[in-house]
Amino acid sequence: MLYESMSFLYYLNPEKYKLRKWREDNHRNSEQIVDVGEELINEHASKLGDDIWIIYEQVMIAALDCSRDDLAWTCLQELKKQFPGSQRVKRLAGMRLEALEKYEDASKQYDSILQDDPTNTAARKRKISILKAQGKSAEAIRELNEYLEQFVGDQEAWHELSELYINEHDYGKAAFCLEELMMTNPHNHLYCEQYAEVKYTQGGLENLELSRKYFAQALKLNNGNMRALFGLYMSASHIAASPKVNATVKKANVKYAAWATNQINRAYQLAGRGTKENKCSVKAVEEMLESMQITMS
Amino acid sequence: MSWRRWLAMGEVELSCLAYVKMYLHACLFPRCSVNGLLLSSSPAGGAVCVTDCVPLLHTHLPLAPITQLALTQVDVWCAQTQQRIVGYYQANACVSDSSPTPCALKIADKIAEQCNNAVLLMIDGGKMSPDYRVPPIVMYERKDTRWTLKDKHTIMLRQWEETRDIASQLLDSGDHSLLVDFDSHLDDITRDWTNQKLNAKIAELASPANGNV
Repeated sequence: MLYESMSFLYYLNPEKYKLRKWREDNHRNSEQIVDVGEELINEHASKLGDDIWIIYEQVMIAALDCSRDDLAWTCLQELKKQFPGSQRVKRLAGMRLEALEKYEDASKQYDSILQDDPTNTAARKRKISILKAQGKSAEAIRELNEYLEQFVGDQEAWHELSELYINEHDYGKAAFCLEELMMTNPHNHLYCEQYAEVKYTQGGLENLELSRKYFAQALKLNNGNMRALFGLYMSASHIAASPKVNATVKKANVKYAAWATNQINRAYQLAGRGTKENKCSVKAVEEMLESMQITMS
Repeated sequence: MSWRRWLAMGEVELSCLAYVKMYLHACLFPRCSVNGLLLSSSPAGGAVCVTDCVPLLHTHLPLAPITQLALTQVDVWCAQTQQRIVGYYQANACVSDSSPTPCALKIADKIAEQCNNAVLLMIDGGKMSPDYRVPPIVMYERKDTRWTLKDKHTIMLRQWEETRDIASQLLDSGDHSLLVDFDSHLDDITRDWTNQKLNAKIAELASPANGNV
């Protein structure tokens, strides 16, 4: 009997570990979580100990993501029983209402949380998500700005705001949000690269030069960032081809573009080795780089 | 009966391959807006036959650098493979709104500069359930300088039910994860944005051996 239950536990551990890893890495692989989690809950609930509650929460959120209201409901009931009156469970109930597109009811749920606890950031952010889901971007932006005045260190919120501004084509404000993120996360190559993309999109010589600098910075932080590499190539090429720059600036940018071309070619040669699959992409890149070199000189 | 003969000016034919890949692209990134280019291997003039598509982005659609890069690379690939870019598709993250965004109009305008009967195709996320009776797409064409809704009757999808079933099959089997868009290619450049592997799978499912013509 002991041997049997021990081998059972041994079998359980990999699945539990998977769920924990996904929780810690904040992965949104909802289909997988539902698959693994549903089996764990249905077959092995009694063996999970106190972990079951966080697993119920994780599986519930994933179930909502996959339109599995049946599973979400089951998880919610178990959590309600175990933690009556909990704000955290109340928020989960609100998320379920959101998934069912019952936005008014969800909003009321979050309002009641905020009445008891006005500093509950999760409830405030859910309310903003509702505005986003309803396509009310201007209001979502306004609320998020208000939220950030109070909670100025919330990275996730700054990033969400930058995305909202990008979708509204408000690149100046998107850049501001990314500047905040770069200040507090100076080693994050993704923020540098996104900032560079926004500057490039804004256009004009000054913005192009800034974009080139930040693509280069992103590459310094992560030399495998292909977007940054291509971005450096394109921004430098455009600057070099501009009639407004003097010979020195032109020469420097031709050099940057040439360096980037080299790196791109090397990366694609390496990638092309051994796989017939991406021969098309490799050839396309080669030709593109050749043709752009001609327009630059 | 040759379908070509029945396609008059202003009509658009959408191939199984193009539709299935667009649909799978939207399914692969259900929480994002996605976009891509529509290609034709038929010569210019007369009806537009969309024979293939290239899925492009699922992040930051309005930003310029990657879009420009993708357009250039697809241009080059088209020249190498005797295809032309004849249109643009987009599926919005917010399913309640399937109207073209400013960025969709901008890119479609650019395409129309080179292809005068270019099409702009929006995927209607709200109508994408597998048993839906008609294709969940809305098409626009350029009249003067504005993009106007195209008459549904000028859009041809050969063997819609078979096409729809192929898309469902690939979704169920999880093969939709084989699809590579340009964004994914930049995350890992060993992945092929021309999707040769997926194309072969779709061709297999659509072949006469499977009871389709």
